[in-house]
Amino acid sequence: MKTVRVVAIAVLFLTALTILGASYLAPAGYERQFREVPQAAPSAHHPLGTDDLGRDRWARLLYGMRVSLTLAPLAALFTTVLAGLVGGIAGYFGGWTERCCKLLIDLFLSVPWLFLLITVRAVLPLNISPEASVTVTFTLLGLLGWAASARVICSGAKDLMKSEFVWMARASGFSGLKLIRLHLLPNLRGALFAQFWISIPVFIIAEANLGALGLGVAEPLPSLGSLLRELQDAITLRPEPWRLLPLAVLIVVISSFQVLLNKQVLLNKQEVRA
Amino acid sequence: MLRFWSWAVLRLAAVMLMASFASAMLIRIAPGFSSDDQELNSGLSAQSIQAIRQAHLADANIPRFYAQYIASLAKGDLGTSRSLNQPVKDLLRERLPVTLANLAVALAVGWLLGVALAVAAQTWDIRALGFLANGLSGTLISTPAAALALVFLLLRWPPAFAAALLVFPKIYRYTQNLLQQSCEMPHVLTARAKGAGPWRVLAWHVAPIALPQLIALVGVSISIGVGVLLPIEVVSDVAGIGQLAWHAAQSRDLPLLVNLTMVVTFVTVCATLISDAAQRGFMRSAA
Repeated sequence: MKTVRVVAIAVLFLTALTILGASYLAPAGYERQFREVPQAAPSAHHPLGTDDLGRDRWARLLYGMRVSLTLAPLAALFTTVLAGLVGGIAGYFGGWTERCCKLLIDLFLSVPWLFLLITVRAVLPLNISPEASVTVTFTLLGLLGWAASARVICSGAKDLMKSEFVWMARASGFSGLKLIRLHLLPNLRGALFAQFWISIPVFIIAEANLGALGLGVAEPLPSLGSLLRELQDAITLRPEPWRLLPLAVLIVVISSFQVLLNKQVLLNKQEVRA
Repeated sequence: MLRFWSWAVLRLAAVMLMASFASAMLIRIAPGFSSDDQELNSGLSAQSIQAIRQAHLADANIPRFYAQYIASLAKGDLGTSRSLNQPVKDLLRERLPVTLANLAVALAVGWLLGVALAVAAQTWDIRALGFLANGLSGTLISTPAAALALVFLLLRWPPAFAAALLVFPKIYRYTQNLLQQSCEMPHVLTARAKGAGPWRVLAWHVAPIALPQLIALVGVSISIGVGVLLPIEVVSDVAGIGQLAWHAAQSRDLPLLVNLTMVVTFVTVCATLISDAAQRGFMRSAA
């Protein structure tokens, strides 16, 4: 398993380098059209060929990775902060506050996520710019994906509030923000970090599904999800297997996250037991 | 038990009230809410058009709009689809059985595969089997539902099996973790040390601990199944609820979309409540 983890770290490191160097590695911008060579096969100029509009597929893949893999962690951070706030408040105050927060969590957990996402996405205006669409898509992911994490944080905070050291701290006069800052947050750090880590691959996949359904990032801005739309022309997939590369990249990157995630969750469990 | 069911019904009512309020708000704030196609009808007089506008202005009052919305929901009136010009109730009657049939197949196959592989990996302790099952679940959990549906479409395999393969990794991982934790418990270790065989240990010592938690997962797996069926139905062109929701999102048919979401929410909340009740019943009878 150690070898698999090393490979996963190497893959993510390479991906990060590729994202950072996208401007240098791509032969052209993601929106530039080579109108003389639409639907071209791979060549020295266009390593993955060009799409129907003559745009370089390699450049679009690199920039698409940059969009998806930069914004998914940001959405995960947003969702972790929300989960920390709602779960923390519920666990800290208990009683009716906890019941109300749990009802809200139940509501968000009851609605199938993709239904909720496409519903809220459909409310947005049609003439939304690509930049706004990418911001809205990932903000929505962050806004709607906090409930499961909040439940974990709430249970962790509740356990901590019952622990002996918190009782002693309260007996010594600690309360409010001081108690949260000195005792709750440091002990919930592991759980929060695990929830952040868990959310990243979930958001990348959610964006991919939305993009594949045409409800994600607007053209011409690429994302890993919007690149999957090209696969819907299934008849030409067999003679042009290089078009499957975005899907392969997506699976490899998310698998790498999953491998490291298992380790992170195990570490978190050990921390909680300790 | 009565207390549990009263609390469960109260919770269901509260969740549905909150969901319906959010739905009504979404319909209310959607672009084009206050406009009506009839306003473009040149045959209508200025007075008629004014009357249509007045009717829409009445809807602008949010509490009144919400009260009307709740009243129609209580009567079982789910409204009319703007894009398909059909009552939402009729559309649901046509498409719900298709989705439910696919969901049943997906859950049955996903659960069977997940539990069987987790039990086999735990009982036989064959490294290759564990590696294969972990690799398969890791790959499937990393694959977007739309992409897997496309592969199934190319291979002409039934789309319900694509959904089953997406439900499987979650069941497998949860069951495997649960079995692993149960197998580390002192009474299980004692039974093994006393020479009980792997199947006997599994049936008499591990299953009673793991089963209640697995039953609780049934409700969650229904929600997962409904979620993955949406892109699968769209890609595979299956006339179910998922495809209808996608169509509604594409044509911005908010009344249809939010009512569909409400129905799906109701089904998943009920499924979760029933699985919670079954878990409690099982634990009570085991005690």
